[in-house]
Amino acid sequence: EEHNSWPKSTFDFKSYMRQKANNVNQALNAAVSLRDPAKIHESMRYSLLAGGKRVRPVLCIAACELVGGTESMAMPAACAVEMIHTMSLIHDDLPCMDNDDLRRGQPTNHIVFGEDVAVLAGDALLAFAFEHIAVSTIKVSPLRIVRAVGELARAIGAEGLVAGQVVDISSEGLSEVGLEQLEFIHVHKTAKLLEGAVVLGAILGGGSDEEVEKLRNYARGIGLLFQVVDDILDVTKSSEELGKTAGKDLVADKVTYPKLMGLEKSRELAEKLNREAQEQLVGFASDKAAPLIALANYIAYRQN
Amino acid sequence: SQSTSTQFDLKGYWTTLIAEINQKLDQAIPVQYPGKIYEAMRYSVLASGAKRAPPIMCVAACELFGGSRLAVFPTACALEMVHAASLIHDDLPCMDNDPFRRGQPSNHTTFGVDMAILAGDALFPLGFRHIVYHTPSELVPESRILRVIAEIARSVGSTGMAAGQFVDLEGGPNSVDFVQEKKFGVMAECSAVCGGLIAGADDDEIQRLRRYGRAVGVLYQVVDDVLDAKVQKSEGKEEEKKKKGKSYVALYGVEKAIEVAEELRAKAKKELDGFEKYDESVLPLYSFVDYAVDRGFNVGVSSS
Repeated sequence: EEHNSWPKSTFDFKSYMRQKANNVNQALNAAVSLRDPAKIHESMRYSLLAGGKRVRPVLCIAACELVGGTESMAMPAACAVEMIHTMSLIHDDLPCMDNDDLRRGQPTNHIVFGEDVAVLAGDALLAFAFEHIAVSTIKVSPLRIVRAVGELARAIGAEGLVAGQVVDISSEGLSEVGLEQLEFIHVHKTAKLLEGAVVLGAILGGGSDEEVEKLRNYARGIGLLFQVVDDILDVTKSSEELGKTAGKDLVADKVTYPKLMGLEKSRELAEKLNREAQEQLVGFASDKAAPLIALANYIAYRQN
Repeated sequence: SQSTSTQFDLKGYWTTLIAEINQKLDQAIPVQYPGKIYEAMRYSVLASGAKRAPPIMCVAACELFGGSRLAVFPTACALEMVHAASLIHDDLPCMDNDPFRRGQPSNHTTFGVDMAILAGDALFPLGFRHIVYHTPSELVPESRILRVIAEIARSVGSTGMAAGQFVDLEGGPNSVDFVQEKKFGVMAECSAVCGGLIAGADDDEIQRLRRYGRAVGVLYQVVDDVLDAKVQKSEGKEEEKKKKGKSYVALYGVEKAIEVAEELRAKAKKELDGFEKYDESVLPLYSFVDYAVDRGFNVGVSSS
C-alpha cells in the first residue's frame, strides 16, 4: 500500500540530504556559540540544534548551486532561515499560543527554560538571523545580500509567516473555514519561509531575475504541497508511524484538505502541485536540478 | 560647550522631527488583511506621547556628517519599530508583566498575549524590510545598509537588549550596571551609530558615536531613576521593592546616582568635543546630553 513512486534516478537523495544537513548542522553549531548570558544562548541552541531534516536550509543551498553559486555563498542564509523556522516554533509552542509541551519528542523550549527565556531566545534567533546574513555572507556582492535580507524580512513578517499564524489562530474552532482561507494559512505559515529559503539561495548564487522567479514558483508549489501531504498523512497514518499525535487536527477541529475536499481530491491536488513545481525546473541543467526534483518528490511521497 | 548647547533650539528640532517621523511611521504600517495584526503593530508604534528619541538621535548623528534626512529616515523609523517590538515583549505577563505602558494599556492588555507576541515578531522584520526597500540606493551604498542591519540586529539580540532583559528578569547582585547598559544604553548607542553609518562616517567617528550614544542612553535612565525616587518619596509610595535591582537609586542611593549622572554627562560631552571640526552640526547632539539631565532634575525639583 506504500506509495513507492520514487523516480528512478542515479541521484542519491539520501546521501545528498545527509551530507548537506551535516554541513548545515556544523555551521549552525558554529554560528550560535555559547556566549554570555549563557542561559539565553543555551535556550537558542537547545531548539536550533535539536535535529530535524533541515529541509529549508538544504533548499536554500540547492537553489544557490542550481544557479551557479557555491554552498558557502548560501550557508549563512541557509542557517538564518533555519533560525527563523526555529524561532517560530519556539513562539508557536508557548502556552498563550498552541501550548505544546513536546516537540519532536523533547520538552519544548519554555518547558525547559521558562516562558520568559523562550520568548527572548526566539527574539534573539530572529535578530541573529539578520545579523548572520549581513555579516557572514562572503563572496557575494552587497547588492545581492541586501536583496536577500529584504526577501527574508518580507517572508516572515506581517505579510508572511506572522499573517499565517494570525489567521490560523483566529480560525480555530470556526465551522466556516473555506478552502481559500485554508490556503492562505498554509501559504503564509509554511510556504512563505520555504519560498524565502529558495529565493535567498537563488539571489545569493547569482541567479537572473527570471531564474529567481522560476524558483520562487517552484518553492510556492512545494510549500503548499508540504501542507496538503501533512493533512493527508494525518488521516491515513497512525500516531506511531507519524511520530506525533495522528488525527490531532480533527480533534482540535482544525480545518484540513481531506475534510474540505475529500481524500482523493487531496491526493490529486498533491500530484498537481508536485508536477507544477517540477515544471519550473525545466531548462536548468538536469544534474544541478536533481536535488530540487528529489526534494519535491520527497515532500510529496514522504510517509511521516 | 555648555553655553553653545543652550543656544540650540532642541525643542524646535525635536518637535519638527517628531511630526515627520510620526507621519513616516504611519505610512509604513498600512492596515491590510489580517487587520488585527496591523492594528496591534500600529497601536504600539504610533502610541501618542512617544518621544522618538532613537530616531531623532539617529537623524542628528547622520546630519552631523552632512548626511541627508531622505537617506536616514528609513533607518530612523526602523529603530522605532524594533524598539517597539522589544517593549511589547518586555511588557508580557511572563516578562515584566506590565499592564500599562506610557499610561496606556500595554499591547497584550489590548490585543491579547498571542497577538502581542506576534506583533513583536512582525515588527522586528518590518524594521529590516523598511530599511531595505525605502533607503534611496543613490544616497546610501548597499555596504552601508548591511552594516546598519548588522548593527540593529546585534543591538536587539542575545548580547544586546535581549541580554539586558534577561539579566533584569534574573536579578542577581550588581546586575544593575549590565541591565542599564544593555536595556537602555544599547538602543541609544545603536541609534547614534546607525546615523553615522548611513552618512558614511569613518571608523573612529563611529566608535566615538558608540561611546557617546551609550553614555547618553544610560544617562537618561539614571536620571529617570532619580526622578522616580523623588516622586515616590514625595508621594510616599513604596514601589522600590519591585524596582530593586533595576535602578541605580535602589542600589546606590540618590546622591551616588546623581554623581553617576554627572560623570555620564561629562563623558558624553567629552566624546562630542572630538567632533569640533563639524562646528554647529554637533549642537543637536550636545543638547541631547543637557536635556537628558535637566529635564529630569527640573521635573524632580518641581514635584517635590
